[in-house]
Amino acid sequence: MTTETLSPTLRRSRLNNRLRSMVTQENIITAVVALIVAGAVIVPLAVLFVSSFRVLDPLGWDTVWGFGNYVEMFTDRIIPKAFLNTLIISSGATILATFLGVSLAWINARTNCPGRDYLEPYNLIPFFLSPFVGAIAWHNLGEPQTGLLNNWVRDLLGIDGAIINVDNIWGVIWVTGIFFAPLVYLFVVGSLRRMDPSLEDSARTTGAGLVRTTMTVTLPLVMPGILSGAIIVFVTSAGEFGVPFKLSAPYGWETLTTQIFSKAVGDDANHYLGAAMSMALGIITVLLIWVQQRYIAPRSFTTVTGKGFRPNVLDLGPWKWVAFSYNLMFIAVAVVLPIICLLIVSLHPVWTGSIVWTDITFINYVKTLFWWRPDAISAATNGIINSLILSFGGASIAMVMALVISYMIHRTKGFGVRMLDFLSVVPIGFPGIVLAMGVLVTYIQTPIYATLWILMLAYITRFFPYGQRNISSIMLAISEELDQSSRMAGASWFTTLRRITIPLLKPGLFAGWILLFIIFLRELSISIILFTTGTETLSVGVYYLTNFENEPLTAALSMAQTVMLLIAIYAFRRFAGREALTA
Amino acid sequence: MAMENADAYLEVDNLVKYFGDDKAVDGISFGIPKGAFLTLLGPSGCGKTTTLMSIAGLHSIDGGRIRVGATVFTSPQEGLFLPPEKRDIGMVFQSYAIWPHMTVAQNVAYPLEIRDWARPDIDDRVADVLKLVGLTDWADSLATNLSGGQQQRASLARAIVSNPSLLLFDEPLSNLDLKLREHMRVELKRIQNEVGITSIYVTHDQSEALVMSDEIIVMSKGKIEQRGGPVEIYSRPVNEYVSNFIGVANLMKAKVLEVSEPGIGKVEVAQDGQSVQLPCRLGPGIEAGNDAVLSVRPENVHAVSEDGAGTVTGECTNAIFLGSYVDCRVKWGDFEWKVIAHPRNHPRTGEKVHLRFDAEHTLAVQP
Repeated sequence: MTTETLSPTLRRSRLNNRLRSMVTQENIITAVVALIVAGAVIVPLAVLFVSSFRVLDPLGWDTVWGFGNYVEMFTDRIIPKAFLNTLIISSGATILATFLGVSLAWINARTNCPGRDYLEPYNLIPFFLSPFVGAIAWHNLGEPQTGLLNNWVRDLLGIDGAIINVDNIWGVIWVTGIFFAPLVYLFVVGSLRRMDPSLEDSARTTGAGLVRTTMTVTLPLVMPGILSGAIIVFVTSAGEFGVPFKLSAPYGWETLTTQIFSKAVGDDANHYLGAAMSMALGIITVLLIWVQQRYIAPRSFTTVTGKGFRPNVLDLGPWKWVAFSYNLMFIAVAVVLPIICLLIVSLHPVWTGSIVWTDITFINYVKTLFWWRPDAISAATNGIINSLILSFGGASIAMVMALVISYMIHRTKGFGVRMLDFLSVVPIGFPGIVLAMGVLVTYIQTPIYATLWILMLAYITRFFPYGQRNISSIMLAISEELDQSSRMAGASWFTTLRRITIPLLKPGLFAGWILLFIIFLRELSISIILFTTGTETLSVGVYYLTNFENEPLTAALSMAQTVMLLIAIYAFRRFAGREALTA
Repeated sequence: MAMENADAYLEVDNLVKYFGDDKAVDGISFGIPKGAFLTLLGPSGCGKTTTLMSIAGLHSIDGGRIRVGATVFTSPQEGLFLPPEKRDIGMVFQSYAIWPHMTVAQNVAYPLEIRDWARPDIDDRVADVLKLVGLTDWADSLATNLSGGQQQRASLARAIVSNPSLLLFDEPLSNLDLKLREHMRVELKRIQNEVGITSIYVTHDQSEALVMSDEIIVMSKGKIEQRGGPVEIYSRPVNEYVSNFIGVANLMKAKVLEVSEPGIGKVEVAQDGQSVQLPCRLGPGIEAGNDAVLSVRPENVHAVSEDGAGTVTGECTNAIFLGSYVDCRVKWGDFEWKVIAHPRNHPRTGEKVHLRFDAEHTLAVQP
């Protein structure tokens, strides 16, 4: 090559060429998406961080910059206790959920417990239902005076008093623990199933018994999965709002989330103090998720060798019936009893603690569902319509976003890709209520506040990673050459996406869509911060009824939500694989 | 240098591609005439697939220029990058990349649909091509129900259906078992002959390269080691690397004693105190006094009974009967000669053996 001097015109045309080669369909779309995602994820968190240093003066007129909010968190009468309660609840729920999840997974994956193929789907149901509704159901089961269980026991044994009381911190641990047990189950059951049985067999040949083998070989091998599940449960419990709001806050046990809520809305609202508390909660959860993603998740499958083992399960002998009963008990307390209780309560005009056959009525369903009737309660009927709009619209938009992001991460190169990879993990680290506080302080003075758009924005920002992981897992499994061969066949990037990539991703797209639909349909902790009159969601409707109306009306709307969720779960089981869940 | 391949149909000029800080392709240039079948041969990591992907446009390049016919595909200096779909190339991938959500016929029809052919024309052309590759009976089955060899044929059908200006093969046979691989080599070559499309074939399998190619480029570490026809590459490797990579060779350090006429001379090899002078051919760049490498194929080493000038005397350590020939090992000092002998007359294990070399097929090449 000879060095040549370029004429200005030639130089300009080369520059133009270079620019034109950068302006492709692919680059434009991916750049726009990266900017949108960065804006959606980073801006609210940044504004939240900044707001936490704005201290409201005593009159509530003006703010000054400083650490006052953080100081107040330690000096306040309630907040330190709320902090402690959150720690106790999260720890307790983690211990309970881990014990339940690991034992149920072990029974289903490694033993000859009867009917285990039929039990598994039911073990997972609580994962999809609303813990808030679970708390309402358990309140009606275990309240000392009007609790159904307490009354049944009183009638049966002819005793006074109550055998259980769930309206306290232990009730919160109980309900949170049973509802989050499937999370641990999902993290553990896969590796238990894939485990090489010869690892256990060789322990048995050294003379170790069943219990010893399980404790010294089986469980340590799946420890990364157990730890991952435990951390996720801890983080999810710490961010859970509905359960402590229903069961413990009214009786004197506030938590961080119920305190954040009271700072976001209501008479003593102080968004800046709420922001500081959200920062505190968010820092804890983000650190834990970081440890899980960075150090624990990568080890999850290294201990378990590959593929294709004959299912070799432990013969429990007569103990298999104990295992079977144990599993049935779990399904009873986590799914069957709560739903039956809600149904019974919802059919009474007023709930006194026992069934009155002559009073059975559908009036509660009429008031909460039939929006055209004059006696309809608008918070409930709005909730249904709004939640359906948010679930259909939000899931659809989020999956389109998730598709483009996954495509960028796995099929394109460049500096924006690493940022997107990072951005699609960040929201998982922040509880919904924390992100919602960020969205609230960011957008409260914009026109989207008090519309469904602000809810949709927060929902998608918080949950699109779940959809993205569903797509990514499939995208990793299908060869990039399938896309490339379409380009070589003469199809543009967009045609390839439409005719090859999307059809191949259909199972993941569908699974992700239903998963998001379910999550959005039951969403509470974001909605409770961002709703206003007219933009109530289903769970906000339930919150309104339990706070301002009565238990039977609450139970009716809870039942409606539960039935909708069960239908979606059925569709999910029917059309999507088990793998889709582990995201 | 830039003008060297100017009249070629495909011209790759001074191609450079980095992955991070690694130079995957280090300034290679070559050109091929229309209709030719060129193989890029080398071990994994030698840059052959990167070169192919650069021609396909599946990634950008950092320097150089790629042209087919009158169309410049890529030239970063001029700010040119033609997207892959505009290059009119057919490509067969290592994984076949048959779309699992379409039937065989739909897979093959796809490039024509993209080119907006009329439906009846598409159907006719697809039927023709499926007949050519022998998949007529499988037209309507889902691609996932095909065997590996059939997927291979479907992939080839899809690559040639639009009669592209260039056909690229990325190790297409490496996922097949040996028997099928040998069969498909011949099939691929037959079909390529029939359609006459200029082809570039990437493989690490030397026998594949020898069987199929008009020309072979042997690559290593992003550079071209040698280019030539199969016979030339095999019988006249230019250096130790090529002669080691293609086929089996006895390779030994040697000293060039004299150059008697251009390309012919004499070398000395020594082992364990013994030394012997051998007349031989000299590779390019070999001059008197050079350190060189002696390269002799086992079939050009002859075990003889009588001693003489230019023979080496060693002991047969192993003689393995392999049907049509006997694979012998003859120990000479620390060196072990690989020798192919005739089954009716071969040395036995433990015997003393004299080795004679064909001067015509004994080479001194660059290390």
